[in-house]
Amino acid sequence: MTLRLIERIAVLAASLAVSSILVFGFMSVLPGDPARVALGVNASDQSVASLRAEFGLDRPLVSQYFSWVGGLLRLHLGDSYISRAPIGPQIADRLQVTLWLVITSMVIAVLIAVPIGSLMAVWHRRISGLVLSAASQVGVAIPAFLAGILLITVFAVHLGWLPANGWTPPAQNPAMFLKQLALPALSLGLVQAAVLTRYVRSSVLDVLREDYMRTARAKGLRPMPALLRHGLRNASVPVVTVLGLQLATLLIGAVVVERVFVIPGLGSLLLDGVSSRDLNLVQDVVMFLVVAVLLVNFVVDLLYVVIDPRMRAGGR
Amino acid sequence: MSSQDNVAVQPPTDSRASRRLNPSLVVGAVIVLFVVLTALVSFVWTPYDPTNIDATQRLLGPSATHWFGTDKFGRDVLSQILMGSRTTLFVGFVAVGVAAVIGVPFGILAAMAPRRPGELLMRGNDLLLAFPALLLAIMFSAVYGASTLTAMIAIGIATVPSFARVIRSGALQVMGTEYVLAARSAGRRPFAIGLRHVLPNVSSLIIVQASVSFAIAVLAEAALSFLGFGTPPPTPSWGRMLQESQEMLFVAPRLAVFPGLAIALVVLGFNLLGDGLRDRFDPKLEDRR
Amino acid sequence: MRHQLTRTATVLIAIASTLAATSCAAGSSTAVTSKGSGDANQTLTVGLAAEPASLDFTKTDGAAIPQVLLYNVYDGLVKLNNSGEITPDLATAWKVSTDRLTYTFDLVKDAKFSNGQTFSAEDAAFSINRVKTDWTISLKKSMDVVKEVKVVSPTQLQVTLSKPSNNWLYSMTSRVGAMFSKTGVANLATAPIGTGPYTLKNWNRGDSITLQRNDSYWGKKPFFQTVNFKYFKDPTALNNALLTGTINVIGTVQAPESLAQFTNNPKYDVIQGTSNGEVVLSFNNSKAPFTDKRVRQAVRYAIDHKALMDTCWAGRGTLIGSMVPPTDPWYEDLTGLYPYDLAKAKSLLQEAGKTGVTLRLRVPNLPYAVSCGQVVKSQLEQAGFKVQLDQLEFPAAWLTTVFTNADYDMSIISHVEPRDIGTVFGSPSYYTRYNNPAFQQALTAADQGTQAQQLVEMKKAARLLSEDAAADWLFLQPNLMVADKGITGLPKNAIAESFDLSPLARA
Repeated sequence: MTLRLIERIAVLAASLAVSSILVFGFMSVLPGDPARVALGVNASDQSVASLRAEFGLDRPLVSQYFSWVGGLLRLHLGDSYISRAPIGPQIADRLQVTLWLVITSMVIAVLIAVPIGSLMAVWHRRISGLVLSAASQVGVAIPAFLAGILLITVFAVHLGWLPANGWTPPAQNPAMFLKQLALPALSLGLVQAAVLTRYVRSSVLDVLREDYMRTARAKGLRPMPALLRHGLRNASVPVVTVLGLQLATLLIGAVVVERVFVIPGLGSLLLDGVSSRDLNLVQDVVMFLVVAVLLVNFVVDLLYVVIDPRMRAGGR
Repeated sequence: MSSQDNVAVQPPTDSRASRRLNPSLVVGAVIVLFVVLTALVSFVWTPYDPTNIDATQRLLGPSATHWFGTDKFGRDVLSQILMGSRTTLFVGFVAVGVAAVIGVPFGILAAMAPRRPGELLMRGNDLLLAFPALLLAIMFSAVYGASTLTAMIAIGIATVPSFARVIRSGALQVMGTEYVLAARSAGRRPFAIGLRHVLPNVSSLIIVQASVSFAIAVLAEAALSFLGFGTPPPTPSWGRMLQESQEMLFVAPRLAVFPGLAIALVVLGFNLLGDGLRDRFDPKLEDRR
Repeated sequence: MRHQLTRTATVLIAIASTLAATSCAAGSSTAVTSKGSGDANQTLTVGLAAEPASLDFTKTDGAAIPQVLLYNVYDGLVKLNNSGEITPDLATAWKVSTDRLTYTFDLVKDAKFSNGQTFSAEDAAFSINRVKTDWTISLKKSMDVVKEVKVVSPTQLQVTLSKPSNNWLYSMTSRVGAMFSKTGVANLATAPIGTGPYTLKNWNRGDSITLQRNDSYWGKKPFFQTVNFKYFKDPTALNNALLTGTINVIGTVQAPESLAQFTNNPKYDVIQGTSNGEVVLSFNNSKAPFTDKRVRQAVRYAIDHKALMDTCWAGRGTLIGSMVPPTDPWYEDLTGLYPYDLAKAKSLLQEAGKTGVTLRLRVPNLPYAVSCGQVVKSQLEQAGFKVQLDQLEFPAAWLTTVFTNADYDMSIISHVEPRDIGTVFGSPSYYTRYNNPAFQQALTAADQGTQAQQLVEMKKAARLLSEDAAADWLFLQPNLMVADKGITGLPKNAIAESFDLSPLARA
């Protein structure tokens, strides 16, 4: 067991190292000189050259790579080339925003998917079950940003119930924060819910089909309490898996929703960084995302080993 | 795009349901065929030239001459939707193709390899999961310029992990069958085993995965075009039509409805098709993780 | 098996509560993003599109920085009013010597910088000299004509030029004329220190900049105590923000089609005037086929400017025939020089033997460029050209490919600096690669002559430029704003580089 753990950690370390090389390598291939972009349209070659020296862009690539990695390990993320502001706090600020959005949307998704998925399973031979199933299929087919546009048009512009965009930190104005969080989280959450319902449905169906359930029904006992306990427990594994997989992609994928709702999150930080060739910033943000995903996967794997004894036996 | 991404490992569906021609399969196939036909027809004929800008015909509502109306440039919306189906299908095919061409051999290889190296390979696969399609597409288009090609390749590469995982899972099961055990003890070369025994037996998995990944690719392309990283103008693209329609939301909301519906329809079709095919094929090949 | 659910639930709850704790703690450090503190009546929120990359316009280019800081946080010796006239600011009066080489400025006595230092002629001299030595943006060239700066007394400054220049005083109203404190230039990128009616309260990068009224301002105090500039990448979000009350003014409309929701709405005023932003269809004059004047002319005749503007910018804008907006004194309507004439375009192209030639139209991925690029392509193809439309990421890819390397045939970009006809077409090393000695001579004569001569020569220069088809001018970007009813003082025409807050008030 400990050997597997060490092995896993070694693999994690290797993955991190390989990713850092990939990311760095890619960034150095990007055309467009950050110094020139920072100085602007009419800058003299001399000032561009001196700014490049200031950024360390004239050193050999390998040397730049190692000083970057060294900085990362010490959590010194450096300053942005373009705004000269420290990168670490920017990532931290933006990350919080995106995390609020993403986690709230996951909660909404679970709150919708679990009851509806269960209903779909219980009703799977009835018309109402089919209707729900069709609805979830349609839900999956709608892009999150389209859902966002529709929600804004209905709830913000026509009805005026909720703001169309913007972001307030929760500590500053909790009421406004919640109002501004509602529509974007819903856009992401509804679509995720559609995906999740199908997992919940199949897990609950599995439980429904098990012998003791049939026996219980045959005896005339109500299926609900057992269904709830077993079904939910059964469903939690794929749900957690899916959510774990999703968190990673959502961090970056939420950018489209962030764009529609003007939310200063991690995705928009990245997009802005790329378009202004803020190499330093982009490198750090991408690396951060990669590290987060790898860590989340690592932790989820560990959780499985702990949770599911079948896993421990070594098969996969 | 975000949430549907990477969840190509679909839940096991109800295997008791009618396996032959279940509704999912029928409806899905019909939709997909319809879209493919539309794309093919668009090569030969569209009501108008979708790139023809005509300032006198701007923002017309649906009418007998323009069934879906016109956009702010005076271009016929129906023709754009028809031609846009080409882009959508093209992106889907290439992305799925790239993912399959890389992911399937990789998955089979990982299954046929001894346990430790196999797991190591899958770790490498998981590394790719850390680079979502959107991220790759942004970076590729920053280097090579935004285009359909960069979008397709980026989405394709990002879809490789799910293919690889599913195929490996299936391949592992095939490896455990008597046929393969016999072949191995008879000393057949691994490559031959892979080609002759494993591949055909996972082919149904490949088809199902392809169908589901296609849907995801379409959604990804829509998101990319919306952000400006997809097909550049003037080639019609549904995602870009959605982005262009935003400006007109008050004047002409129908401009968002048509491409939005088109995208949703294609995604729905491929998802249903994938589900239906999975129901139809041997349910023993369901994936568990 | 029960453990499984409880364990995962516990983990999730742990994550959620950590998140909540950290956000609440950090949330207090992030800035004001809503309408700001204080009486809501005294707060104004303006929505804009392009955010400044840094607050230091001496080293970073881009119109977004002076838009926020000039006239608001920084004063100059002189400024432009809403009618485009040069008016006193930190200089109460000035005299020009008869040889037009020496300017003597009388300065205000009681202006203070936000760091507490009193403004004096020494700061003025410091600021002017600094342009040549410390500034890196290209606009610094406007100060090259300054030979000597003399501090006559704490309230009198003398500037001597090496040759007479009409442009110099005008450029002093732009960002190069901003007055800095000689002890306050350490952190210009994040902490601007000026004498203006506002000071920087906060910059929430990616979101907004907040300015606060300087209550010890030496001049007339502005109406609004707090002004927020909020930045929106998405034009629809910008519109929605006004509709839902998050902002009070849309400072620059990026999606003119969407104005329909505001024009007949009694809650809002739509302001449309002219700006300095000439949307130029630039030609690479140094490369075939544009080395042939007939080809350039063919392009100009092939474009139906009115239809183009109607289609790609909802008809909002002004048609111009050269690089001069109507707000400049030497403006002439030269649109008649190249009216839309498809037949003539085709015949000119044939005459030049270039029918079917492929032109690479490489546009930045900005809304107007992408939109109008498609119309240009469509119109030129009717005249017999083949157009390959490329979209380049702005700023990075466009700057490298088109601007630095001139690897293009045509491009579309709006040149927003005031009086930039000389910058854009006067130097053969600029991306337009235009080299016309007669044109350059006219510019020099205009700068060094008297005011009357300047008028004549500038008109000549503009006409030369147009006749020679150095580029095509698709239209002049409008100054398009939407505001809550009751906001007064917004300029009809955008003449200066600044979004001047001092004249604004709420009725």
